[in-house]
Amino acid sequence: MSTATTRFSLERHKRTSFYLFLLPWIIGFLFMQVTPIIWGFLISLTNRSAFPIAVRFVGLKNYLELFRDKAVLGSYWVSFVYTIANTLIGVITGFLFALMLDRNLPGRGFFRTILYFPYMIPMVAVGWIFRIFLERDTGFLNIVLMRLGILESGIPFIQQSPMGSILILSFWQAGWSMIIFLGALSTVPRELYEVATIDGAGYGRRVRHIMLPLISPFIFFQLVMSFIYAMQAFIQPYILNPRPIRGNWLMTNTPPEETFFVMSRAYYIITSQNKFSYGLAMLWVLFAVVLLGTILFVKFGGFWVYTEAEERK
Amino acid sequence: MALTIHNRDRLSAAFRFVILIAIVLIFFLPLVSMFVTSLKRMDELYRVPARVFPEQALWKNYLEAWTLVRFGKYLVNSIILTLLYALPAIMSSCFAGYAFSRFQVRESRAVFLVVLSTMMVPAMVTIMPLYMIMAKLGFANQRILWFFWGLAGIPFIIFLFRQFFSTIPISFEESARMDGAGRFQIFFRIMFPLVQTGVIVAAIFAFQWSWSEFLMPVLFLTDEKSTLAVKIAMGYSDMKENVLYNIGMAGIVYYTLPIVIVFFSLQRRFVAGLLAGGLKG
Repeated sequence: MSTATTRFSLERHKRTSFYLFLLPWIIGFLFMQVTPIIWGFLISLTNRSAFPIAVRFVGLKNYLELFRDKAVLGSYWVSFVYTIANTLIGVITGFLFALMLDRNLPGRGFFRTILYFPYMIPMVAVGWIFRIFLERDTGFLNIVLMRLGILESGIPFIQQSPMGSILILSFWQAGWSMIIFLGALSTVPRELYEVATIDGAGYGRRVRHIMLPLISPFIFFQLVMSFIYAMQAFIQPYILNPRPIRGNWLMTNTPPEETFFVMSRAYYIITSQNKFSYGLAMLWVLFAVVLLGTILFVKFGGFWVYTEAEERK
Repeated sequence: MALTIHNRDRLSAAFRFVILIAIVLIFFLPLVSMFVTSLKRMDELYRVPARVFPEQALWKNYLEAWTLVRFGKYLVNSIILTLLYALPAIMSSCFAGYAFSRFQVRESRAVFLVVLSTMMVPAMVTIMPLYMIMAKLGFANQRILWFFWGLAGIPFIIFLFRQFFSTIPISFEESARMDGAGRFQIFFRIMFPLVQTGVIVAAIFAFQWSWSEFLMPVLFLTDEKSTLAVKIAMGYSDMKENVLYNIGMAGIVYYTLPIVIVFFSLQRRFVAGLLAGGLKG
């Protein structure tokens, strides 16, 4: 009897501690996430604009309108294409970097630091650095390529392919996935390679049959995270805008259709067109897509992920 | 036999070394471009054929990057907001990680899933409505929002702290509890000093996030309170609204410098912390 009460009071003590230490997070979560998400959804069911006159409930009208709006659908498509490309570039580049850095190599720490470094630079700075780097007349890339005799005359990279110029950033900023994969590779027991080598497995087979299965949870994690973050790309198309940028008009100068990402357009719809509820509906659809996509991916996309038998539930 | 394997390893290392050097050189090009551009004259940028290096290094651009906009003011604003965000972000994440590692109650797992799922919420989905609410209440232009943003923590860091705390033997706390120490005493005296590496990783993340955050300041804050991220994004321009790339690049050098310094002084522990704590499990 007395042990039961002790256990009960212990459990209560534990629960009190749990919530006490979680309290700051709960406050932040309620304030920064729960309230805005719910409020945003409710507003997306109305016809609210920047000037809240005669606001009324319109049900799913905004959502239905979204799916007839060619420009909006185009944005979803553009974001989708970008997300796939960005994820593949980032994950493959990061993996190859990690592969090259994994084994003994002179200057390993140096390379790791330098390759990770671009990821640290804020996106707004990266955007401008590349806007100038890729420019036809002022662009350093063109100058270098012409000096090396690879190009005859400058190429206007951003104008020729706005999407391509944004995707170059995914390559340059692959440092994060490199770090993830370096961590992943360090979990693979060396002995397995040695055994496989003795059994006559070449490098390719060791990678395919030992390394890849063992680090598949990390690849999976990285794919999911990259998908979520790429869907949120927002400022890149504004800065890497093929149209000339004047004065302080960065955010009012809309990107071309081929790089008008969902976030960029939602921002434009809300702040420039003042269609609050419509923009929120657009964001909510994206939220639903990300949520659903992630859940589906985690649930059904993970069939190729290796797990230890006892961990499987 | 052993010798050939050894030789092959060395050959592979040399091969990878050369490739990596080439990649590093390519990676440096945009940064070199930034630096070189920051020292050129504006008319020099449009001259064809273009030159790689400036005719004469124009260090004056660095002075103008500081004076053309009130750079010092935005710098101070950025620092204030970064501290206002980073401190609660680190503490809240650390607390939460501790709660998940040590006080597992029936609903812990479910709550942890909620924490992880907040990673899936696109920032704009919360920030846009928050802005509308705050604007409606007349609270939009308030720095205190950064504090609340910090309280919401960083899911990845919460995960990291949970891993770190899980590696600390539970006997450490039990002996302290025997001595009659309260839960917060135990946390601050014993546990917190043991997760320093985690704190460094969290600090770098939090710093990087709020330093580069564009959406929040551009929506919420008036120019008086605005940050470097916004100013850098908008770029420098002259009276005729021509964008001054050279001075802009000098501004970006300033803007990026604190991150470079913090990263390079702490990177050894940062990477070690990431590799040790977060990624195994």
